[in-house]
Order: sequence, then C-alpha cells, then structure tokens
Amino acid sequence: MSGMARREFIKLAGAGLGAALGTGLFHDRLLAGELPATGAKLFADKFGVAREDLRKVLQAALSKGGDFADLYLEYKVANSVFMEDGIVKRSSEAIVLGIGIRVLKGRQTGFGYTSDLALDKMRQAALTAAAIASSGAKVKPPPLRESSPAQQVYLMDKPFADASLDDRIAMVKEGYDAAMAHDKRVVKAVATLSDELQYVTIVNSEGLCISDVRPQVRMGVTVTAQEGKVRNTGSESAGGRVGRTYFQGKRSPREVGIRAAADAIVLLAAVDPVAGDQPVVLGARQSGVMIHEAVGHPFEGEGIWTKTSIVADKLGQVVAAPAVTIYDDATIPHLRGSMNVDDEGTLTGRVTLVDRGKLTGYLLDRLSARVLGMKPNGHGRRESFSVPPICRMNNTMLAKGETDPEDVIRSVKKGFYAETYFGGQVEDTGKFTFSVNLGYMIEDGRLTRPVKNATLIGNNLQVLKDIELIGNDTEYFLGSCGKDGQSAAVTAGTPTFKIRQMTVGGRV
Amino acid sequence: MKQDNQNVMAVAEKLVAYGRKRGADEIEVTVQDGTQFSVNVREQAVERLTEAGEKGASLRVLVSGKQANASSSDLSEATMARLIDNAITRARLGGADPCNGLPETGPAAPPADKLGIFDEKITAMAPELKIAFAKKLESIGMADKRVKKCTGSTFGTYTGAVYLANSKGFAGSYRRTFASAYVGFQSGEGDNLLQDGWGESSATLAGLPDEEKIAGKAAQRVIRLIGARKVDTQKVPMVMEPPMTARMMMFLAQCLSGASVDRKQSFLVDKLGQKIGGDLVTVVDDGLLPGGLGTVPFDAEGVPARSTTVVQQGVLKSYLLNTYYGRKLKLASTGHAGGPRNFYLSKGESSPGEIVRSLEKGLLLTGIIGLGQVPTTGDISVGAFGLWVEKGEVAFPVAEITISGNLGEMLQQVQMVGDDLRFDSTVCGPTIKVAEISVGGKGGA
Repeated sequence: MSGMARREFIKLAGAGLGAALGTGLFHDRLLAGELPATGAKLFADKFGVAREDLRKVLQAALSKGGDFADLYLEYKVANSVFMEDGIVKRSSEAIVLGIGIRVLKGRQTGFGYTSDLALDKMRQAALTAAAIASSGAKVKPPPLRESSPAQQVYLMDKPFADASLDDRIAMVKEGYDAAMAHDKRVVKAVATLSDELQYVTIVNSEGLCISDVRPQVRMGVTVTAQEGKVRNTGSESAGGRVGRTYFQGKRSPREVGIRAAADAIVLLAAVDPVAGDQPVVLGARQSGVMIHEAVGHPFEGEGIWTKTSIVADKLGQVVAAPAVTIYDDATIPHLRGSMNVDDEGTLTGRVTLVDRGKLTGYLLDRLSARVLGMKPNGHGRRESFSVPPICRMNNTMLAKGETDPEDVIRSVKKGFYAETYFGGQVEDTGKFTFSVNLGYMIEDGRLTRPVKNATLIGNNLQVLKDIELIGNDTEYFLGSCGKDGQSAAVTAGTPTFKIRQMTVGGRV
Repeated sequence: MKQDNQNVMAVAEKLVAYGRKRGADEIEVTVQDGTQFSVNVREQAVERLTEAGEKGASLRVLVSGKQANASSSDLSEATMARLIDNAITRARLGGADPCNGLPETGPAAPPADKLGIFDEKITAMAPELKIAFAKKLESIGMADKRVKKCTGSTFGTYTGAVYLANSKGFAGSYRRTFASAYVGFQSGEGDNLLQDGWGESSATLAGLPDEEKIAGKAAQRVIRLIGARKVDTQKVPMVMEPPMTARMMMFLAQCLSGASVDRKQSFLVDKLGQKIGGDLVTVVDDGLLPGGLGTVPFDAEGVPARSTTVVQQGVLKSYLLNTYYGRKLKLASTGHAGGPRNFYLSKGESSPGEIVRSLEKGLLLTGIIGLGQVPTTGDISVGAFGLWVEKGEVAFPVAEITISGNLGEMLQQVQMVGDDLRFDSTVCGPTIKVAEISVGGKGGA
C-alpha cells in the first residue's frame, strides 16, 4: 500500500474513532481537562461495586483477627500502536480489572485477589487474605470517608485518552520516518506509542476511601544501523504522565526518532572500552539509572527492616561526599514516576535520602514504616491489583551542583564518559552494575572516541563517597523498574557528574 | 474440572464466532485460567502469603492482512465483545502485511496428558506443607554460622489451564502445574556483604529436590564467596557453572528469535547453515521433553510443539520462529510462538571437576549481574562473581569484577563441555570451558 493511499484511508476512517479507542468513561470531563477523582463511583456505576459492599469485604478481611486491611480496586485501559516496515503492524488494547485484598497482622501479610467483582468472589478473596491471622476477633470497619488526593501532579489540558487512532498513528509515523530518513545507514526502525489510563480506588480499615486517575504515555523508537558488517542498535523514548502538548516541544516524535538513529550511527564507529579502574563522568542524559540502582534500591523499606540492606543501620551517618544530596519526589509534575497518592493511598511528597552526604531517610510503605516505627512516606506501589504493594521509587534525583558540565569533563585527563545505558542491577549488598550502550573515551579533558560494550561496576557506599564534581544541568531518564517480579514506571534524574574512580569492564 | 474445561473452551469458541460475524477474516482467542499460591517466610514466621485464582484472555484479529490485538482480565461478555469490535476497527486502520495470519491447520498436537506436565499432587498439596517447606529452607541455611541473614525463603505452586481456539478450526487446551522453591542468604562482615541463593522448579512434586538439597546448595554458594576480592584486569580462560551456561543459552535464544533476526538485531542474521560454534556445541530446543518446565502440546498459536536441533556440532540449523516470522524469513514456523520451550546446550563427556582442574589460571564463573548483552553484535559485558582458579585448584573468591566477550567468539571457543546437564529451568546447559574472556578489575586503564 502506498503512503498516499494510507493517509487517505486514515483520514476517512478517523471520524468516530475516539469513541472506539478511548475508554468512553468520563470522556467529556477528560476533554475539559479535568481528571475525575470520583473513582469509587466508577466502580459502583460501571461494575456494580456498592460502597456498602466494600465495607462487607473489609469486614471479611478482618474476620480472623487481622489488625489492618486494605482493598485496591483497579480499572486500566492501555493502548499501543506499533510501526515497523513502514506500516502500522499492530495495535492493541488491554484491560486490567480487579481487586486486591491485603490483611496485615503485625509484620505478616495475607493477600488475595480476583478479577471478578461480584460480592461473593471479593469476599472469598478477602477470607483467603484474612487467614494470615487466626484469632477470630471481630472488628467492625469504620464508615468510609471518601476523599480525593490533596494534590494534582498530572493535570493536563490535552489528555491522551482523547487522541484518536489517526492522531496516534501520525505520531508513530513521524518518529519512524524521522529515524529512517536520518542516515542511509539506518536499516531498520520500530516505533511504538503506548498510553494508558488507570483508575484506582483504595479503601482501608481506617476508613480511607481515596481514588486517583493516572495517565501514562510513552513514545519509543529503536533503530538499527549497518555499515559493512558492523551493526548497532540505538533507542530513545519520551513521555510521562503527560498530555499531547508535551510531544509538540523538543520531545517531539521526530526528535525521539532522530536521537535513536543518531546513537545507532555513532555506535558504528565505537570501540571497546579501556578496561580497568579509571575516573568516570556520568552524563546527564541517562545516568539517573546510576542513582536509581546505587542509591534508590538499597534505601527501600524492606531491606531496611529486614536488615539485609547495606544502609539499614546508617540513618544519620555520613554515607556520601559532602556535595551529594539525593531525594525522591513523586510530586514533580508530569514525570513518568509521579503520583498524587501511592498505591496505599498515602499522599506523596519529597523524601530526602541523602542530605549533603548524610543519610536522612528511607523509602517506606505502610508495612515497613509499621515495623520500623516510622511514618509511611508514599512509596508503597504495586504493578496491579494482583500483587501486594512493596516499597518502590518514583522520581529519584541527584540534586544539581554548581559546575558547568563541560568543566566536569575537562577535569579528567584520561577516563570514561557514559551517555546511554541498557540498564542496571543492584544487590542488597550494595554491589551494582550498569551496562552502557554508548559511551566515550575522555582524553585530555575532551570526549574523543565513541565506546560500546562497557560495564560499570562498583558498590554504592564507595561510589557515593567518590562523587567529586556535580554539574548544574539535569535530565530525566524514563525507566521501568523490576523488583520481586513487579514492574513500576519510574524516572531518575541527574546532572553530569564525576566519580573519582570506578571499574570499567570491557575487552582487554 | 472437566465440566469447567468445556465451559471455558466454549467461551473461547463463541468469541471466535462473534469475531467472524463482526467482520474479522481470522481471529484467535486464548484464555488462561489458573490458581497461584506463594508463601514467603522470615525468621520462621510467614511473612507473606498469597493465594488467588486468575483469569485472562487475549486475542488477535485479522482484516485484509492487517492485525490488531487485545487482552483483558475482565472476561465479561460485554467487555470481550467491545474489545473484539474495537480490534476489528483498529485492524482496518493498520497496514497490510502478507506475512500476517494464523497458522495453517497442520498435524494434530500430541495429547497433553502424555507430557508429564500436570501433577495432581501439586494441586492437592496442603498450604501447611508449603509453609513448612519454606521454613525448613530458611532454618537449614541459617544453621551454618557463616550465614548471616536470609534474604528470602519462598515456596510456590501454580495450577493452570490454557485454552486456544481460532477461526481455522483449531481448538486445544492443556493443564499444567509448577512447584518452585527458592532461598537466598547473605554472608560476610561489616559493609563487605555477599549474597547468593538457589532455587528449583518442577512440573511435578516428586521432581522437586528436597529442602536439604536446595538450602544446602544456597548456603554453600554464598559461603564460598566469603572474602571475595578483585583481581587484576587481564585475559583468562573461563569455566562457567551450569546456571551461567544457562544465561549464555538464554542470550543465544534471544539472538535466534525471529523478531531479532528479522529486525537485524542479531549477530546471527544470514548465518543459517554456517559454523557459528565449536564442534562441541550442539543446542536443542525440545518442546516435548517429558515433564519439562517448558513442555507444551502446542505453542501460543496452536502449532504443535516439537524437538528442534538448533545448532549441530557448531553449525546453525534453525532459528526460533513463529508463523509470522517463518513467513517473513521465507522459512516455516518452528513452533516457537511464545519463545523457546526447553532450550539447552547438549551435555558433553567431561566431569565438572575435570574441567576446573584443566584451568592453569582462570575464572570459575558462578554469578553475573547486569544487563550488558547486545543481540545485534553478540557483545557481552556484565558484572561477575566467581572463584579464582590457579593450577587447577580454587584459590580464592572474586567479586566486583566485570567479564567482557562476544557470544559469537565464545561459542567458537568452547573447549570442554560437562556431563552435568540438568533440566532444572526452561533454558539450561552443563558446565563448560571457554578459551578466553576479558576480566576487568584492578589497574589496567
């Protein structure tokens, strides 16, 4: 099919698609720029879950002597459009509907779930979760106080849910075409646009009944380039809890496609790194992954209360160089990891983990806070209704410093610069690894040859102490973080910064 | 259960009929129905217990060679009908690809009940026994004074059924079970902590090793790392323990997938029939392995499972293809919709001890960390843990080093293959020795 015919076809068929593709729910209010906060009503109106039913389920959950119970109702519609070989190869729509029921007894958790919202099915799941306790004490849950989050960090004027399929196809095509046209050595591109709208209502045995509506969008392009026998792949993505306006700026689909293609082209000339210990400069573009792995994970509540984390006993101690301040802030507007309330209904805020070198806080959900005798601070998250909440990051940031990024690079005579990553991994022991897709050699204070196939390895306590210079720039890296089999949308951000010495792995 | 089976199958077939009526040229519906149980134990108390039944459906429709997909955990008739209608609308707006489409009806799939993948004993196992198993894993490991903490002790079971119906008349279903156990430990002093663990899974309860074996191995794996240190940056031969060979095979399977090959994101593009490995390298994917963790009667689009020789004495014989990529690459589906089944490096003749003793100086790789594997080039660069070997004997443990190499080169350089192959995961392999790997550690730069 020719491109012309396809455009024609899209235009003809575009009308009326909003209804077919969108959820149809709250559509008018969404169009008016208002994200409705009446999630509990949604579950009553659309799925027949009356408010009184929720109390009955809570009652069943507490019927064996549990000391806390919560219900998590979720309805999510996710769409994606995928382009390859110049055509829209696939589109998909996925619906997630269900309720997760959790019962706490001391530090023990019982958990059940069902995707069938009939009262008897919900009650059965509640009784499964209830069995974690065994005293048979009767507790009557208090009346539910319905509320909305006291903040809105993803209000937008052009929400994605009202985009028609032809709007979406146009975006994917723009990214795809820009990548393919970037250089004649580009041999393959795939472009994807995914967006979702998640409605949650969280009810607990303390009377909380809070709802949130959360958008999430991601545009991604992956490009393979070839020259002779050398082939390499680059990718780039953009998005967050954003509306359509976001993609009209410097994060346009075109820019995403070009950046992915440019990386693939640069990598064609890349060499293996010089292996061994050396100074390393982490570029702002994606080095948030380092803060996420090296700092974020060991600061999550479970490792703290079970004392398996390397920083479990270090509250108040100096753990980093004096210039280092690290925080997690779910309230930065529109980022991929932003949330009004966490998945336990706790209002989110800025949590400082390291303040000028000193360890000042952890990322806590209800359970870890309860065991530690601290307050939950909005970091209980879950992938869906079918898994219990665990401590997670949102938007994890290394605070910016005062040095010009160029000067950070200039301070290194011979070393390594990391630009983009495949990802990273960390153990509770603090040992981490991150895998660099594209890096550069630093020679006499300048970036010289592109480098591929490099790995950075270290342990977090050492690296935090070895941070020497912090730039005055910041970029955000969009990530999906895996933990205990659950995936969470996160952002991590850093300035350009220098680590005195790290082990760089590569061919010898 | 029988009655229930027929009901779910009938629902799937009804959705197929609905899709045809609404204008889909072809439609495929898969329904999954399962029950999962898992328990985590900490300090001999249940820390978390989860039990639930879960259902889900997924479907794809084709209209004039254009495809759209959908999935849902809400199986209500209204939702499913709306998803099918939406999918047909979206398919019409997509691009036509002549390779799209359901598989042609072929030979019948083998009878599911002959595959050894369903065990009533797992379905019937009492929760108390599962909790006791997890408790025992923890207590066995913690009994060793060198073990400082347990990072998690879990036991889980899954019982489920898959129903697949399509508009070409395919209708098939199978039930399967899993039991799995895992325990992890930490050791070391002060801020110099080390961790490792061990887990096993089995389609049958009888196939699962006992608590002593699993916890004993987990504890031994972490104890041997105590005192781990860096070594100098250098090139050495490397021996890989079976789980490490399995990781290498996982990467190989990724490079052999139809999607990677078609997108040229694989170093094995255009390599069919060529020598990609040493003579000792024979790789098989056996979808019919009795009791195998990946064994199924048919793949995710109803193509009968089979045994495929992927690499024979170093020569690449087959990619892992579903119907779409089979057509796209002008080959045929190899029954790999949904990925590899039981994918393994065939065993050799050397004992693991013999292989380690053959190392004059080198690394015995026991663990890796990181995501540094690039299918496009075959490049590997990851963090590593292991044991340093000198004169055929383990000298000391190593950590915080990196290993770098290239899968293509490593396959060519396989010098010894162990006789210790166990089918303990869907992708596996025996102990092997490769001629050379770059170790990144102290100095060097």
